[in-house]
Amino acid sequence: MRLRRTVAPWWCFLHSVFALALGFGDMEPGPQTSGERFRIEGRALVHGVRLQDWISTAHVLVEGEEHVGFLKTDGSFAVNDVPPGSYVVEVVSPTYRFEPVRVDITSKGKMRARMVNYIKTSEVVRLAYPLQMKSTGPHSYFLKRETWGWTDFLMNPMVMMMVLPLLIIVLLPKVVNTNDPEMRREMEQSMNMLNPNHELPDVSEFMTKLFSKSSGKSGGGGKGGKSGAVKRSWKRTLRGFSQQDFDQTLA
Amino acid sequence: MANLTTCLTLFFLCYGLCSAVYEDQVGKFDWRQQYVGKVLFAHFDSHSQAAKKLILATDKNIVASLNSRTGELFWRHVDKVGPEGHIDTLLFHGQDAVVMAGNGRLLRSWESNIGALNWEMVLDTGSFQAAILAGTQDSVKFVAVLKKAVLSLHYLSNGHQKWVETLPDSDTVQYQAVYSSGGSQLFVLGVVPYSHLSIIAFNIEDGEIMSQRSVAAPWVSKVQARCGVVDQGVLLCVDATTLSLYMLPLNSEEPAELQQVPLQSLDLELASGYQPVLLTTQPNPARPPLAQFFLQLGPDHHVLLQLSDGLISPLRDFQPAFLVSFATAGEKTVAAVLSPKNETVSAKAGGVVAETVHPFLHFFLMHCFIVLLLDHAYDLQASSVSLYSADSGRRLLDTTVTVHLDPNGGKPEKLYVHAFLKKDDSVGYRLLVQMEDHTLTFLQQPGRVVWSREEALADVVTMEMVDLPLTGTQAELEGEFGKKADGLAAMVLKRLSSQLILLQAWIAHLWKLFYDARKPRSLVKNEVTIETLARDEFNLQKMIVMVTASGKLFGIDSKSGTVLWKHYLHDVQPNSVFKLMVQRTTAHFPHPPQCTLLIKDKETGLATLHVFNPIFGKKSHVTPPALSRPVLQSLLLPLMDQDYSKVLLLIDDEYKVTAFPSTKHVLQQLQEMASSIFFFLVDSSQGRLSGFRLRKARELSLTDLSTELIWEVVIPPEVQKIVAVKGKRASEHVHSQGRVMGDRSVLYKYLNPNLLAVVTESVDTHQERSFVGVFLIDGITGRIIHEAVQRKARGPIHLVHSENWVVYEYWNAKSRRNEFSVLELFEGTELYNSTVFSSLDRPHLPQVLQQSYIFPSSISTMEATLTEKGITSRHLLVGLPSGAILSLPKMFLDPRRPEVASEQSREENLIPYAPEMPIRTEWFINYNQSVSRVKGIYTAPSGLESTCLVVAYGLDIFQTRVYPSKQFDVLKDDYDYVLISSVLFGLFFATMISKRLAQVKLLNRAWR
Repeated sequence: MRLRRTVAPWWCFLHSVFALALGFGDMEPGPQTSGERFRIEGRALVHGVRLQDWISTAHVLVEGEEHVGFLKTDGSFAVNDVPPGSYVVEVVSPTYRFEPVRVDITSKGKMRARMVNYIKTSEVVRLAYPLQMKSTGPHSYFLKRETWGWTDFLMNPMVMMMVLPLLIIVLLPKVVNTNDPEMRREMEQSMNMLNPNHELPDVSEFMTKLFSKSSGKSGGGGKGGKSGAVKRSWKRTLRGFSQQDFDQTLA
Repeated sequence: MANLTTCLTLFFLCYGLCSAVYEDQVGKFDWRQQYVGKVLFAHFDSHSQAAKKLILATDKNIVASLNSRTGELFWRHVDKVGPEGHIDTLLFHGQDAVVMAGNGRLLRSWESNIGALNWEMVLDTGSFQAAILAGTQDSVKFVAVLKKAVLSLHYLSNGHQKWVETLPDSDTVQYQAVYSSGGSQLFVLGVVPYSHLSIIAFNIEDGEIMSQRSVAAPWVSKVQARCGVVDQGVLLCVDATTLSLYMLPLNSEEPAELQQVPLQSLDLELASGYQPVLLTTQPNPARPPLAQFFLQLGPDHHVLLQLSDGLISPLRDFQPAFLVSFATAGEKTVAAVLSPKNETVSAKAGGVVAETVHPFLHFFLMHCFIVLLLDHAYDLQASSVSLYSADSGRRLLDTTVTVHLDPNGGKPEKLYVHAFLKKDDSVGYRLLVQMEDHTLTFLQQPGRVVWSREEALADVVTMEMVDLPLTGTQAELEGEFGKKADGLAAMVLKRLSSQLILLQAWIAHLWKLFYDARKPRSLVKNEVTIETLARDEFNLQKMIVMVTASGKLFGIDSKSGTVLWKHYLHDVQPNSVFKLMVQRTTAHFPHPPQCTLLIKDKETGLATLHVFNPIFGKKSHVTPPALSRPVLQSLLLPLMDQDYSKVLLLIDDEYKVTAFPSTKHVLQQLQEMASSIFFFLVDSSQGRLSGFRLRKARELSLTDLSTELIWEVVIPPEVQKIVAVKGKRASEHVHSQGRVMGDRSVLYKYLNPNLLAVVTESVDTHQERSFVGVFLIDGITGRIIHEAVQRKARGPIHLVHSENWVVYEYWNAKSRRNEFSVLELFEGTELYNSTVFSSLDRPHLPQVLQQSYIFPSSISTMEATLTEKGITSRHLLVGLPSGAILSLPKMFLDPRRPEVASEQSREENLIPYAPEMPIRTEWFINYNQSVSRVKGIYTAPSGLESTCLVVAYGLDIFQTRVYPSKQFDVLKDDYDYVLISSVLFGLFFATMISKRLAQVKLLNRAWR
C-alpha cells in the first residue's frame, strides 16, 4: 500500500494546463468505447544495420499483446483497429533494444506520442507522431566472464599484503647494516617497545618450534644465536604491518 | 537526491544478485523448439527446383516460412490470439504471400524472402467468404475478396483497392465463391439454399455487372467443396440426394438449365451417407482451370474424371485412397499414388482411359495430381505415393515412393505436393503430409523422410518432469538399502559384491572411453535413445511428459529436447481439460513409474483416465476405474498402496469418492485416515468455496466412500467473481522457519500448507469502480486469514503462492500500468507450535505485510523457482509478451523493504524501497531465444540444491537451468583448473628449491 501513497501526489500534480490545451482532457482509457477504431503508425530504425537482417524477427506490441503490428519492408509499421485510449507501444526485437512510447488516442482520433513514465503517469514529454522508434543499440544479455590477469592478481589486497612485507624482509637487511651493534641495539629496543611482555607465549613461535624440531637436524647448530633473534624480530614487524593493513582495509 | 541514492544502491545490488547467462553457455544447458501449430494452408515456393521455402498459415494465427530441407523456421509472425487474428486464407504468388486475417478485416502481403510486410490494407468489416488471385492476359495482378455483401478487387503489387461493388440481394443470396479464368470477367457464385444458384459476372476492369442470372437448383445447399469450375468456365456441382453431377457453362448468355449427369451413368457409386467432395484445380490463376477433376465418393474412394466436349468421363478409379491433391510443374505429364506396400497398384483403371492428349491441355504446363492411397485396414506404416498423369490417368514410371507414416498418428489429413521437372525432363516431387495429430512429414523422392515436425507441441496444456530410472547397477546398490538386514556376514558379502559390480561398471566405462577416443569424433554417436536413458549424477536430466490440446502425449529428454516417445489418444474431444499426475515415481525400483492423465470433457464433465509409464509412454496394464458421473475434483494423496503408487481420489457431482487404485489395503487406510482427509470445491459461477471431509463408513462396507461438508464461503457473484484459486505446491520444501532480523531476533514465517489464495475480480469493469480482491483461506477450516483489495484494478491476474508469500500481478486501471503486489505472512517473533502445523489449532492470525511495485511491462505468466531443499533463494520467473523470460529475484518483492535504509535493514540485506521494478536484459534466462505466447512455466528441482530446471511452454518450448543463488555447490564451468594446478605446482617447486637453498645457506654458515 506504499505504492499508492507514493504515487498519489504525482497524480494530483496533473499537467492539466498542457493536457487541456491540447484537447486531451477527455481521455478515457480502456476498451469501453466500442465505436471507432484507429491506427497507430510509425517507423522503426536500427542505425547501421540492413533492414532484412533484423526485420523478420521484430514486431510491434501495443499494451502487451492486446494489439499486434508487423513491420513493412521499409521499416514502417501500422497497428490497426485500436480503440481510443492510452497505450504503450513497443517494437520488440530479440537483438535490438527500442524504447517504448506511450500513444494517446482521443475518441475523435487525435493522436499524440509521449515518453513512458510509469511513476508520473500524467507527465507529458512529447515525442514525434508518427512514431520514430530508433534503436538504442543491441541488447546485452550476457555477463562477462571474470577473466584472470596478472594485474588483477597483483592488485589484490591480500597479495599486496603478502608481497610488500616480503619485499621489506628481503630489502631492508640490505639497506640497514645489521652487523652494526649500535643499530641492532636500537632495533631491539624498538621491538621491545612494540611487544612489551616477553613472557606471553607466542602461538606462531610455538608452532614454528613444533614444526622445526624435525627439520632442525639438517639445519645443524646454525639456528640459534643472533640470526634467530633477528628472524623473530622481523617476523614481528611483519605481523605489525599486516595488522595495520587489515585495519586500513576494514576502515 | 534520496531517490538517486536508492537507484544507485539498486543498481549495484542488481549486479550482485543476478543469475545471468554467460556468452559461452549459449545452448549448453538450454534448448528451444519453435512451433507453428496446425497447418491450415501451405504453399511451396515453386519458383525453381532449388526453391526450399514453404509458406504456412496455421490455426494459431501464424504465418511462417519453413526451410523445406531441414524443417526449420526461416521466419514466423505471430498475430494476436482469437478471431481478430484468425487467418481466413493464404494465397501465394511469386514471392508474395497474401493473407486474409480477422474475418476479412486485414489483407496483408508478406515478402516471403525477407519475412516482412509488403503492404497491409484494412478492409471494411464483413463476413469473409472467399478470396482468389485474379489476372488478365496471363499475368496475375489482382486479389479479389468476396464478403457477404461486397466484392472488392485489390492490386497485388500495393494492395490498393481497384474497385468495390456491393452485391445485389445479399440478404437472401449467400455468395460463397468467386472465380476468374484470366478473362475480363469475374464470376461470383451465390446460393439460395434449396432454391437456386445466382451467378453474377463482373467486369474486372471497372467492377460493372456484366450479367446476372439465376438458375433453378432445388438441391443446392452450399458451394464450397460441392461445386467447382473446370475447363473453359463450366460450373460443376455434385449432389448426394439426387446422386448426380450438374453442369452449367458460365459464359453462355442465356439462362440455361443445369445439365444433370447421374452418377450411375458414369458407373460410379456413392458411399452411403457420404457427402461427395469435388476437387478441381486451376494451376495458374490467369488461365482457365483444368478439365480434369477429382470426385470423392467415400472416405477412401476417389475418382478422377474429365470433362471433354461437354461429356464427363471417368479416367481412373482410386480405391482405397484417402487423400488426393493436384500439383503443377513444368512441361511433362506425370503422376503418383500412395498405396499399401504389399499391393502393387491398388487403383484399378476405370471406364475409359483417355489415350489422346486432351485438346485443352495444349498449353505447356504439366498437371500432375497425386493420389495418396492409404489403406487403414491393412498396414498404415507402409504406404506408397505415386504420380499419375492428369490427362490420361496413367501411372508414371519410377515415381513410386514408399512412405512410412507413424501408425499411432491417426489418419493423414492433408497432402501438399510440390512437383518439379528434373534435368532429364521427368517429374520429381516432394510431399508434405499432415496427419490427424498435426504432425507434418516432409518426404523426398526415394522415400526418404527429410524431416517431420510435431506441431501438436505448439499447444502444450500441462506437463510434468519425471526422474529418469536408475541403471541396473545403480538399482542394485539402492536395493541393498531397501531390503531388510539378514545377518552381518550376508550384508558384508552383499556390500562387497555391489562394490565389485560398481568397479566392473567403472572399468567398462573407462574401456568405452578409451575405445571411443581412438575412433574419429564424427563416428562417436552420442544419441539419446530410450534404452540408454539413465539418471545422471545430479539428476539434471529428466523426462518431460507433455500433454497437448490435440490429445497427443510426448516424452521429451530434458537435456537434448529429443522426443523419445509419443502417444496419440484418438478419442479425445477437442475441448477437453487435462490434469497430469505422477502416481508413482521412479524411486520404487521393481515397480515401473506411473503417470495418470485425467481427461475431462468440458461440456459433459465426464472424465476418463489414461494410465501410462512416463519413461516409455506405454499404456499401463492397470485398469483405471470407470467414471460414470462428472468429476468435480481430483486429489492426489501422499498415501500409498503396497505397490507404492499414490492414491488418487476423484470426487463426482454427488460428492461420492472414487479411489484409484482401490485395493482393499488402500480402502482400509482411507477409512482410518478419513477424518484427516479434506478437500475443497470451487464453484465460480455461484461464488462458492466449500470444504469437505471424507466420512467414515458406518458399517464395515469399505467400498462406499462419502463426504461431508465442513465449511462454506460464499463470495457474492453479483459483485465479484472468482478467477483463480491457488494452493501451494506439494513438492515444495521450506528450509528456514524464519527470518533473522537486524536486531538478531527471529521473525517466524507462517507456513500453513493448507492455505489457499483466492483471487476475485469485480463484475463492474468501469475503471473507477473495478477492483481485485485476494482472500487467503485455510483449506481445512475455511477460516479467512487475510483479505486484501486493490481498488481501481483489474485482471488478468497472475499469481504465485509459495512458502509464506503470495505475489500477484494486476492492471492498475487508473495509472494504466501493471503492478506487482506481495503479501507475506509471519507468525511473529514466537512460534505457536514449532513441531507440527495444524490448521485446527492456530489461535492467532498471522501478521500480514504487503507492498506493491510498478512493473514496466505486462506479463504472460509467472512461476517461482523450486529447489530440492529450499535453501537457495527464490526467484520469480516471469514470461513477458516480448518473448523473454525474466528471472526476478524475490528479494525485490519483499514487503519489508524499507523506505529509508537503516543500519538494521542494511544488515538484513533489504533493498530500499523503489516504486518501479527493474527489468534488466541480463536477467533474461533465454537471452535472444525469445519464446512466443508463453502459457506456462514449469519448474522442477534437480539433485543439486543450487539448480532449478525450467521449462517454458506455449507456442515454443524452452528448457534451461537456473541458479538463483549462483552455483554454490558445484565448481563453476569456467573453473580455472590450469591456474589452480599451475599455482600448486609452482608453490611445490618453489618449496623444493628454497629448501635446497636454505640447506646450502645453513651449511655455509656452519662452515664459517
